[in-house]
Amino acid sequence: MAVTGPASGPAAGPDGPIAPLGCGRDAALVWDRTEAGLPPDEHERDCPHCSATFAEADRLHRLVHRMAAEPVEPPPSVLERAMGAVRTEFRQRDLLELASPHGPARLSRPAAAAVLRHAVDRMAGMRARSCRIEQAAGPGPDGQPAAADVMITVTARFGVELASVTARVRQMVLAAGEQALGVPVRRVDIDVVDVFEDGQP
Amino acid sequence: MTGATPPLRVLVSDTAVARVAAHRALAVPGVLALQADLTQTALGIAGAWLGPGGRSAPPAGAAAEVRDQTVQVALTVVTGLGQNCRDLAQAVQRAVAAEIAGYTGLVATVTVTISEVLLDA
Repeated sequence: MAVTGPASGPAAGPDGPIAPLGCGRDAALVWDRTEAGLPPDEHERDCPHCSATFAEADRLHRLVHRMAAEPVEPPPSVLERAMGAVRTEFRQRDLLELASPHGPARLSRPAAAAVLRHAVDRMAGMRARSCRIEQAAGPGPDGQPAAADVMITVTARFGVELASVTARVRQMVLAAGEQALGVPVRRVDIDVVDVFEDGQP
Repeated sequence: MTGATPPLRVLVSDTAVARVAAHRALAVPGVLALQADLTQTALGIAGAWLGPGGRSAPPAGAAAEVRDQTVQVALTVVTGLGQNCRDLAQAVQRAVAAEIAGYTGLVATVTVTISEVLLDA
C-alpha cells in the first residue's frame, strides 16, 4: 500500500469520524503503514504530526509482537486441579488395595489380571481369554483390604476333563493371587467359553 | 553482636523430596522402573511444548507434597513377574520413608502404586 498524499477524508471510527492529523493526513493510514512494516514516506519523515504518530504506532507494534512471542504458562492451579480429578477417577476404578502397615499400597487391576491370565496360560490344556478382578471397597472386618473375587474365562483343549482342569485353574489362581500379587482371593468363577485342538492358534 | 547463633530455617522443596524418593525406590530389588502417571505425562507434554517456565520438572513416577514437617509421597512402580506385589510395595514404603527421614528429617507417608507387572522380565 502506498500513501503519498493527504487522505481524501476522515476515517470512520466506532464513535464517529476520526479527526485527521494536524497536517490533514488520516492517522489510520499511518498506522496501517507501520503495521505493514513499511518505512515512513517522504511526507511522514518531515511532518512532525506524522512522524510522532508513526513512532507511537511503531512502539505499540513492537510491544505487541514481543508479548505475543513470550511463552504462555497455563495457571498451574487450573491444570493440576483438572488433572487431579482425572487421576482420582482413574485410580478408584482401576486399582486393587494391597495390605500394608506403612501406608496406602495399590496394584493396577489390569496388571493383576494379566498376571493371573499368564498363570493360567502356562497350564497344559488351558488358555485364558479374559480375567476380571473385583474387590470390595474399604477394609474388611480385620482392617485389611477385602479379598478379591476373580472371574476368568478360558478355553480348554479338546478332550481334557473339564472338572479336573478347572479345579487346577482355581488352585492356580488362588496361588498366584497370594504369591505373585499379595492379594488373597476369596472366590474364583471359571467360564469355559470354547475348546481348541492341539496346533490351533 | 551477642554471639548467639542465628536461627537457621531449611525448606525442602516438593521436587527435591520427590527426587530423593525416586532415587531410593529404584534401588529396591524388584523395582524395574518408575512410571509417570497421567498427570505427569500431561504436564510433561505441556512442559515440552510451553517450556519449563523456570521450574525443574519432578522425576517421572514420583511426586511429593511437603507440609510442615511431614511429606506425602506418591510413587508409581513397574515390577516384573516373580515379585510379590504386596511385599514389594511394603519394601518400597519402608526404604523410601527411611531415606527421606534420614536425608531431610521429614516424616513421610509413602503411597505406592504398582502400575505394571512385566511378564517377561
